[in-house]
Amino acid sequence: MADATIIKPDLQFVKEIIKGGGESLKKCYQCATCSVVCNVTPEGNPFPRKEMVLAQWGQKDELLASPDIWLCHQCSDCTAYCPRGAKPGEVLNAVRKQSIKQVALVPFLSKIATDPKFIWLLFAIPMVLFYLIMPYRDVSMVPLLNGKMSYSNFMPVWPQVDATFMLTAAFAAFSALVGIKRLWATMAARSGAKGTGSPIGHVIPAVTTILAHKKFADCDVNRLRQWGHLLLFYSFAGLAVVTTVAIVYLYGWKFFGIQAFGSFNFGKSPYPNNDPMKILALVSSVAFAAGFIILLVNRLVKAGKAGLGGYFDWVFLLIVGGVGATGMLAWALRLQEMTAGYWVYYFHLVFVWTLFMYAPYSKFAHLFYRTTAMAFARYTGRDTK
Amino acid sequence: MEKKYCVYICKGCGIKEAMDVDKLSGAAKKVQNFKIHDVLCSPEGVQLIKDDMAKDGINTIIIAACSPRVKAAEFTFPGALVERVNIREFVAWTMEPNTDETNDAAYDYLTMGIVKSQKSDLAEPNILPDLTSTILVVGGGIAGMTAALSAAGAGQKVVLVEKDAQLGGFVNKLYKKIPTGSYINKPLIVDTDISKTVSEVESNPNIKVYKSTTVSKTDGQPGLYDVTLSNNETVKIGAIVMASGWKPYDANKLDYLGYGKMKNVVTNFELEEIAKKNNGKLLRPSDGKPALKVAFIQCAGQRDPNHLAYCSSMCCATSLKQSQYVRQNEDALAMIFYKDIRTPGRTELYYKEAQNNPGVMLTKADVTGVSDAGNGNMFVEMENTLFGTTTGEKVKIEADLVVLATGMVPTSRAPQEYADGLTAAAGLGDEAKKNYLEQTPKPDYILNLGYRQGPEIPTLEGASGFADSNFICFQYETRRTGIYAAGSVHQPMNMAEAQEDAAGAAFKAIQVIDHVSRGVAVHPRAWDTTYPDPLLIKCTACKRCTEECPFGAIDEDEKGIPNYNINRCRRCGTCMGACPERIVSFKDYSVDIVGSMLKAIDVPDDEDIFRIACLVCENDSYPALDTAAIVGKKIDPSVRFVSMRCLGGMNLVWVADALSKGIDGMLLLGCKFGENYQCHFVKGSELANTRFSKVSETLNRLQLESGRVELMQIAINEYDKLPDMINEFVEKVKEFGPNPFKSM
Repeated sequence: MADATIIKPDLQFVKEIIKGGGESLKKCYQCATCSVVCNVTPEGNPFPRKEMVLAQWGQKDELLASPDIWLCHQCSDCTAYCPRGAKPGEVLNAVRKQSIKQVALVPFLSKIATDPKFIWLLFAIPMVLFYLIMPYRDVSMVPLLNGKMSYSNFMPVWPQVDATFMLTAAFAAFSALVGIKRLWATMAARSGAKGTGSPIGHVIPAVTTILAHKKFADCDVNRLRQWGHLLLFYSFAGLAVVTTVAIVYLYGWKFFGIQAFGSFNFGKSPYPNNDPMKILALVSSVAFAAGFIILLVNRLVKAGKAGLGGYFDWVFLLIVGGVGATGMLAWALRLQEMTAGYWVYYFHLVFVWTLFMYAPYSKFAHLFYRTTAMAFARYTGRDTK
Repeated sequence: MEKKYCVYICKGCGIKEAMDVDKLSGAAKKVQNFKIHDVLCSPEGVQLIKDDMAKDGINTIIIAACSPRVKAAEFTFPGALVERVNIREFVAWTMEPNTDETNDAAYDYLTMGIVKSQKSDLAEPNILPDLTSTILVVGGGIAGMTAALSAAGAGQKVVLVEKDAQLGGFVNKLYKKIPTGSYINKPLIVDTDISKTVSEVESNPNIKVYKSTTVSKTDGQPGLYDVTLSNNETVKIGAIVMASGWKPYDANKLDYLGYGKMKNVVTNFELEEIAKKNNGKLLRPSDGKPALKVAFIQCAGQRDPNHLAYCSSMCCATSLKQSQYVRQNEDALAMIFYKDIRTPGRTELYYKEAQNNPGVMLTKADVTGVSDAGNGNMFVEMENTLFGTTTGEKVKIEADLVVLATGMVPTSRAPQEYADGLTAAAGLGDEAKKNYLEQTPKPDYILNLGYRQGPEIPTLEGASGFADSNFICFQYETRRTGIYAAGSVHQPMNMAEAQEDAAGAAFKAIQVIDHVSRGVAVHPRAWDTTYPDPLLIKCTACKRCTEECPFGAIDEDEKGIPNYNINRCRRCGTCMGACPERIVSFKDYSVDIVGSMLKAIDVPDDEDIFRIACLVCENDSYPALDTAAIVGKKIDPSVRFVSMRCLGGMNLVWVADALSKGIDGMLLLGCKFGENYQCHFVKGSELANTRFSKVSETLNRLQLESGRVELMQIAINEYDKLPDMINEFVEKVKEFGPNPFKSM
């Protein structure tokens, strides 16, 4: 028996999971109903029953090194059918939160993003930051552009907005890269399984799966979520395109002297409402709002079956919702030439910055880590679908 | 009593539509008086009978109507002999209406009923003199004390005998208990408060307590027990509640779990002692340090054929309770390793609540051993968990205290094992038996019954020594009338269950006292005032009745002459079937009565018309036939059913009687063999089968095919299959052809 692995229970980690949204964890009595209803359970591994017992015993290393916790899309079939109300979907979400914290470049940032005690700090930092760099604290002093309100006059694109966001984005990207690397290394060390082909080669099918939202389609209880997430996902993609083109509009005109042609406008914002990028931005915004409302309503309606979620989820929804709401309101107020729009725009920047800054530290990190885990699962043959 | 007969034929419930009632009255004319009524069970019908009793002195009433299993209240006429003839279920509802065969069947049934009433006598209850109603409770644990309080509360005098110096039993050893009131899980651990119950018992004027006392001898029968105590005092007792409880399984047999080898491996009972001694602190035996990593190993011996084959039912809840002792220290962990957590009934709520504590960790595991981890710590080694990187791999977890959740061994087990050993030795010859008696230590007997069949309650095969009952129908019955097992000598159970069990057993004890005071049997013939009345002048002292009585009711004197203890008897008639001299009879049930009924069946000379006699057990087959009739099953009209109290009363002479008269075949319907089925009368059907094995001799003598007589086992719920089984048998007999004795 000398070769038997020694298992060490970790009460502290159990408490962390319970505190972080997994308060139903202790209700599990290992009946395996969850593994039967789950559509991502692999052969010969009773997922998520196994994760539930590992979590009950605080088996941190084992849990956080498993790609399985990320393969779960929290469709909540398990939660709906659990006879004891142990909500495995919610528990796994709480475990993922621990995973995000574990691979974080700056763990304290993860704490700010996921611990309700720090909600003040979460928003205070960008509020102070943008307040300090805004040129006109008295918004009546903001000069008009061609006789109209202009947010680029309220908060100049350069250096205020772009310098801040480029630095923030660069830091976030670096954090995400470090996190991805750590997650991969942890998973690889634990699994011991030899991968096939290049890891990068498995990213593409993983991404394709994500683009098509195939995994959501495996869900029974929470089908509406697929459409909500899909809308939100593509609205983010649309807005990313808009932002990229906006950079070309702005700096292309400035540095390379490119002139406006057709309905494409180069130069300083705002752009007229018939500009293709403006149209894409507006369509994305509508999709954003629709997706967000679907997810929000779905979460509230299904709370009885699928669980209401914890702070980890709700603070992320708040940030995403804040970005959308302030963005659309700012646009509407500008069209109405109402100067209150400046302050709304200020809060828009606060929310967008928070979203960017904490992307690898908040629930938004699932974008990176789920992709990583899905690629890893393909690489090691854990998931071939 | 001079009998004055009257036959009453009911036309209701489809009887008049199915048969020629006027033709039936032809049979009734045999006793001169007969009346036909549209609905005999109606108030007018019942009044008609009562009026006849009052005016004409009718005292022998033959009612041809529905099954005797229904309308018992309507058709009870005190002072009269009542014979019920079942022409509704057996004829009207199961045969084609208005055929000659159907009319013949009704005619035969009525004739048989008349013959039976002619041969029977009105029963006089046999009330023995000098009955006492005091209840003896053996065992002063929670079950015994509850039984004593329940009986005393109902106004009964109680004698409580406890072998320890104080009352309380195992509860005395507990630090805390699981709540037993309305809320089982709020809070999770409470004081046992056993001293309250103890003082309630000791101060109850109806209860006399003997401590440090055991039962040396129990003689007699319900209502008339003479119980000698270890202090040589003799008490008169009416009924007995056996609540002698259990002992923990001997953990020394669990050395693979480290018990006896490592000081810090203790049993769940020892953990209670540690907690009680240290006011809740769990200090390790080896060094007195507080235990911070406590491992509980469930099923330490239970559900293991090498140790205890059964589940002790309370150990899972006990470990969950003890995990709360551990968690009184916020830094301590309780780790429970189980095969399955079994928390039946309300204890499931306890499980939920106890588990809902981050420091109470549970996992399914096959624990393979406990090894030394140094410093007084141990590794619990296990496989088939979900820990580790490969499925089911061997893992180990360190603990500073290991608790073995050992199980319950009933105090009735050792006497049973001794008796089984003796039977086995006796089977090897006198020498082996002598050696066994000399060399095997005597077990601690509980009741020391002075019964011919042995000193203790016979436990059921497969009950692992628990004094369990025929639980399908009767929760508290043992195979000794008037003695009721309660608590964990009865079945593995927890405190709350033991209290309920004890209350039930106490009331059964009160019931038997009431029944014997009225000269009535106890279950299942709880109305019956008849009793076996052997004609002992003709007894050959063969001892068959004393050996075969399922309830040990018959003792014998030095010459081997049986002594029927009527209050122990349950009136099954097994003795009647056992007796080769046919001297045992009841007022309405004897070899002659059943034989005469069989002979009363009219056997037509026509070779195409068959007659099959069928003896049916009243507890399974008869109700099954009634149910088959209710659901509209059809039965071959050549069959005539005769009710038996138990097939154990079957006498082979009936086969000869029936077949020599020309009956073409005979079917015996008994209940299922074996103790797992647990028939009301335990072994009657099996005994009938043993006797039946000699039937071929009879048939050979008559030069008949042995297939003409068959015994079948029927459970009460097989009513859907039973008609087909009977009809197939009839077809088989028809293939043999008519009985050659028919026209003789």
